[in-house]
Amino acid sequence: MSGKKETRLLMISPASTVTPDLLSRTIHSMGRPVTVKETCYGCLIEGPPEELREIRDEARKMDPHGIYSKVRAYPAGDPRRCRAQHGTRPGYAQLEWEWKALAHMRYALDCEAAGEAPPAEKTRKRIPPREFKDICEEIE
Amino acid sequence: MKVFIDPPNSLILFDIVERFGHEPLSTMAALQERVNSMEIDMPPMNVTLDDVIRGLKYAGIEVPSGIRGRLAVWGPMIDEADAAIVMEEAPFAFGCVGCERTNVMVKYLLKRKGIPILFAKYPEDGDEARRFVARAREFLEGLG
Repeated sequence: MSGKKETRLLMISPASTVTPDLLSRTIHSMGRPVTVKETCYGCLIEGPPEELREIRDEARKMDPHGIYSKVRAYPAGDPRRCRAQHGTRPGYAQLEWEWKALAHMRYALDCEAAGEAPPAEKTRKRIPPREFKDICEEIE
Repeated sequence: MKVFIDPPNSLILFDIVERFGHEPLSTMAALQERVNSMEIDMPPMNVTLDDVIRGLKYAGIEVPSGIRGRLAVWGPMIDEADAAIVMEEAPFAFGCVGCERTNVMVKYLLKRKGIPILFAKYPEDGDEARRFVARAREFLEGLG
């Protein structure tokens, strides 16, 4: 095993029934040589990159389309970023924004897995003058 | 294949690229080395002399240092990329990517490189998300 360590962030979709507590406990119970830190949005895991990828895949079995992950630059609890130590958190606005979109992503991935074709894009078209005139008269 | 994502710190794009079997090129992975380096106290707010020199490859000397500093991190990733997914009109609050000039430069560098690029928008409802996932799957599976 290489000595390289990586930190990975696991985020739970707001449409999922999995809680950060359940996710952290499940990862703890795997008995892997990694550090787990529960957060409000999911958890942070730190350890060898290959282990983290396996843990991500294992954790996803609870909710395949409800748990999302990305690599994190800073280690878990780093004083430069950790809120507990008054660190700045400049990327949090983005995480919060993307968290809201995860519910749509979960729905989309569920439909994709069920083999449903996506709906056609709505096209904006001009309305005929007569129809436009009717609308104007209705407003008056 | 290595896929550059823009915004380069996006969770959704990072996850989608990994789900469909490719390697995402992200800011987080690039910054991990700097974070662990003792020379830099507070990345990505500080840049080293090497970064400034590296940034000159992607932006001229008259370009503001903030853009050059960002390109010093993202430029080598663009050089390395085999394909890219770009989210247009990403919210400006996206942390370190809240610099429109840099984002314009990134799009220019990607187009100049001539790699396959998927332009998309952040989904605002379920149907938009379905269209986005279908396009992303088609694009990523087509990369081989």
